[in-house]
Amino acid sequence: MFKRTDNWSELTWQQKRDLRFNKWISGEGIKFVSKEAEKNYQARATRLAQAAKMEIPDRVPCAVPTGWFPAMNAGITLKEAMYNPEKLKWAWLKFVDEYDSDTFDGTILFQAPVSDILIDRTMKWPGSGLPDNSHSAYQYIEGEYMKADEYDLFMKDPFDFQLRYLLPRTTGIFEPFKDIPSFSSYQGLPQRLMAMSMDPQFQKFLKAIQDAGKVIPALRKADYETTQAAAAKGFPMFRGGLAIAPFDVFADNLRGTQGIFTDMFRQPDKIHEAMEFVLPQLLSGAISMSDATDCPVVMMPLHKGDDTFMSDKQFETFYWPTFQRLLLEMIEEGLVPFPVAEGAYNRRLEYISDMPKSGVIWMFDQTDMANAKKTVGKVSCIAGNVPVSLAYTGSVEEMEAYCKKLIETCAPGGGYILSGGTTFDMAKPENLRIMMESAKKYGVYK
Amino acid sequence: MESTAKKWEDMTWQEKREERFKRWLNPPDVKFVSKEAEQLYKQRVTRFIKAIKLEEPDRVPVMLPMGNLPAYWGGANFRTLMYDYKKGHEIWKKFMEYFGDMDMFGGPSFVPPGRIEEAIPSITQKLPGMGLPEDAPMNQFVEGEYMKADEYDLYMTDPTDYNFRVMLPRTTPLFEPFKRLTPMRGFMMSNYWLMALCNPEIRKIFEKLMTLTDDQIEWMKASMEINNYIKARGYPSLWGGGVLLGAPFDHFGDAMRGTHGIFMDMYRQPKKLLEAMDWYLKLTVENDIKNFPMTASPICVMPLHKGDDTFMSDKQFAEYYWPTLRGLLLAMINEGLVPMPFAEGRYNKRLKQINDTPKSGVVWWFDQTDMADAKKTIGDICCIVGNVPTSLILNGTTQQVKESCRKLIEDCAPGGGYILGGGAHVDTGGVENIKAMMDAAKEYGVYKNI
Repeated sequence: MFKRTDNWSELTWQQKRDLRFNKWISGEGIKFVSKEAEKNYQARATRLAQAAKMEIPDRVPCAVPTGWFPAMNAGITLKEAMYNPEKLKWAWLKFVDEYDSDTFDGTILFQAPVSDILIDRTMKWPGSGLPDNSHSAYQYIEGEYMKADEYDLFMKDPFDFQLRYLLPRTTGIFEPFKDIPSFSSYQGLPQRLMAMSMDPQFQKFLKAIQDAGKVIPALRKADYETTQAAAAKGFPMFRGGLAIAPFDVFADNLRGTQGIFTDMFRQPDKIHEAMEFVLPQLLSGAISMSDATDCPVVMMPLHKGDDTFMSDKQFETFYWPTFQRLLLEMIEEGLVPFPVAEGAYNRRLEYISDMPKSGVIWMFDQTDMANAKKTVGKVSCIAGNVPVSLAYTGSVEEMEAYCKKLIETCAPGGGYILSGGTTFDMAKPENLRIMMESAKKYGVYK
Repeated sequence: MESTAKKWEDMTWQEKREERFKRWLNPPDVKFVSKEAEQLYKQRVTRFIKAIKLEEPDRVPVMLPMGNLPAYWGGANFRTLMYDYKKGHEIWKKFMEYFGDMDMFGGPSFVPPGRIEEAIPSITQKLPGMGLPEDAPMNQFVEGEYMKADEYDLYMTDPTDYNFRVMLPRTTPLFEPFKRLTPMRGFMMSNYWLMALCNPEIRKIFEKLMTLTDDQIEWMKASMEINNYIKARGYPSLWGGGVLLGAPFDHFGDAMRGTHGIFMDMYRQPKKLLEAMDWYLKLTVENDIKNFPMTASPICVMPLHKGDDTFMSDKQFAEYYWPTLRGLLLAMINEGLVPMPFAEGRYNKRLKQINDTPKSGVVWWFDQTDMADAKKTIGDICCIVGNVPTSLILNGTTQQVKESCRKLIEDCAPGGGYILGGGAHVDTGGVENIKAMMDAAKEYGVYKNI
């Protein structure tokens, strides 16, 4: 748990970030398997932190984008990995022992057994909507979970909106809540809760919660132990928290693509108002996660702001302003936002260059990296973009050539992390290996 | 709603109210014991409907000011009603038979189930045997600064969250662990719920609540049974399932900030208070008034407190109390409901300030207000109810009570729009004076005789 110093408010953001990074690099509390593992952990973390700060590390760090690869590597299905915590742990640690990387990517965060019990309607997963031998651990189902006229409801009584509107639509066990009156007065609340606890529908709800409560500890334990064990072997997690862009809160989670794009024409002001509303929540969520994990890096998967989803003008109007402020406020807290620009961001590069130097790390998927280096690369560390198609189907030679080219283009002057455009779930094992080898072979700073 | 082709949202408020009146007159869920009972029921409801609409009924309708008087008449008390529902209800039935004709009657009111109150004690309420003497005839609200002066924004930002995490732990000790939960306003957060509800402290609360289920079911069944019994015998109820809302000012003044707190706020943060009342009005209209279901009766009794003559000046009433109360009344009227504000204390100085509501929309029930004056100032736009003094009913002779009723009828009944009632409910005391009120209405309140 990260503790702020007494003079925290007087520190510059760089000083705050250094305190956070140093705590992370120190590996305090990790029971390393050997002195060497400890040294390796610190060397890897230092390398990543230096790249993030646009300093020159010993060599280009390489974050192998693991994804679900460890399951395939161990010969188990994703369904097995999700439902059997012991197998998950075994498979992921087997991967750690067999593959080199500067990072450990974490396990599967999605808790399928819990989603079964809660009747999660926003996801498909192996055994529930996806085949048992699916190549993806889950698939999000977009929907208009918030109706066009519910922005006010969402903002004016947020908890009520969750409880009586959103959750009954997204999560089966919450269905009974859609028919109850609001809890807008505290008077009579105990009686209402009592009346609810005697209603069979709510008893079912409470039972489901209890059941879920019973399966969660094993899932969490497996995730925690795997991460700890990977760290003990010398592999740091380069992710302390998660956040998303304010626009995506609505575009992905609440209104869906069609809903949000209609709103952009029919009720643009409401979107703006609502984005302002969620911004502080996103910020405080990111801060508390990073504090808890002792790692300042906040991963931010981005969706609807890419080149094809909206015009420059729309990006400038809807996507960027609140997103930019969220980034700035994170930076001010000493956090290191790590946006992952899924899709292509070629037309966005100029906008996103308007940031304090070394404040952000940008991960690019299909963006032109030479261009990125010339623009946003001047103020931000960049990462990416070995194509997933190449990792799946390319030869080792092609893979090596691509990595070499990327390093030549992006590494000069520091501020580059070699990584993939997206995760290498089904990649050829040798292509994962050559990526790391390329970083060592071509990425050493002299 | 189903009996008409016109869509609810296209109806005028009078049309909506007519629909609700029809439902009141023809209750689908009541099985009358006889044709006669049904006829009496309709006659009585019609009497009220006419008075409400400022028309002349056959005679002045009466709301007898009995709280839990039947219990005392039968040798029991409030505490009996809390614990021995069966005994209480037997007495109730006997009383009804003994008393005979009444325009309105209902089961025990505001009596909570004793065993449950003991299991979930509330800081905001004292009860006989729980903070009050065992033979106390009523419950007592305990005012307090349950909401702090600097929490208006917190409350307005996420009211339901505030109710659960702040007010509930402060007012009901069983829920104390709720205050350790983190705010619930994140989005896409079903996992938050898991964490919260799997927390052993929180789980214990729900387990405790579930152990009370049998008591709660027994109590609910008993209440339903007695109320059905009464209705089946032809007595309409005042508490027809309508909401019990108050003035927005009182919401903050009574239940949240307390008298001391709210009067400080009027000087120290008047804008915040005004903002909060406006906000609360909108929230209430949205949550509790809009699409209000068809209930047994459209009448919504609204006890009013801090707006009376002595609590605040005319100017303060005009600025702080009336605008949002009026807003609430209008919203209710617009839904076809019949708001019946009960002006506890005295409203003599307010009469000239409360006369800007639609004709026949509101029914004002007065406690110590001058009724002749009320008739003159608001009598042509509002039906008025009241106000035989409680002291007279408790201590006067039957002759004095009848005299008081006669005078009231003379002052208020002409032209319709008047319901004879008391200034407040009595629980103890003789039944003779209550009977005298009923007699007086029949003797002096028949319209063709005036």
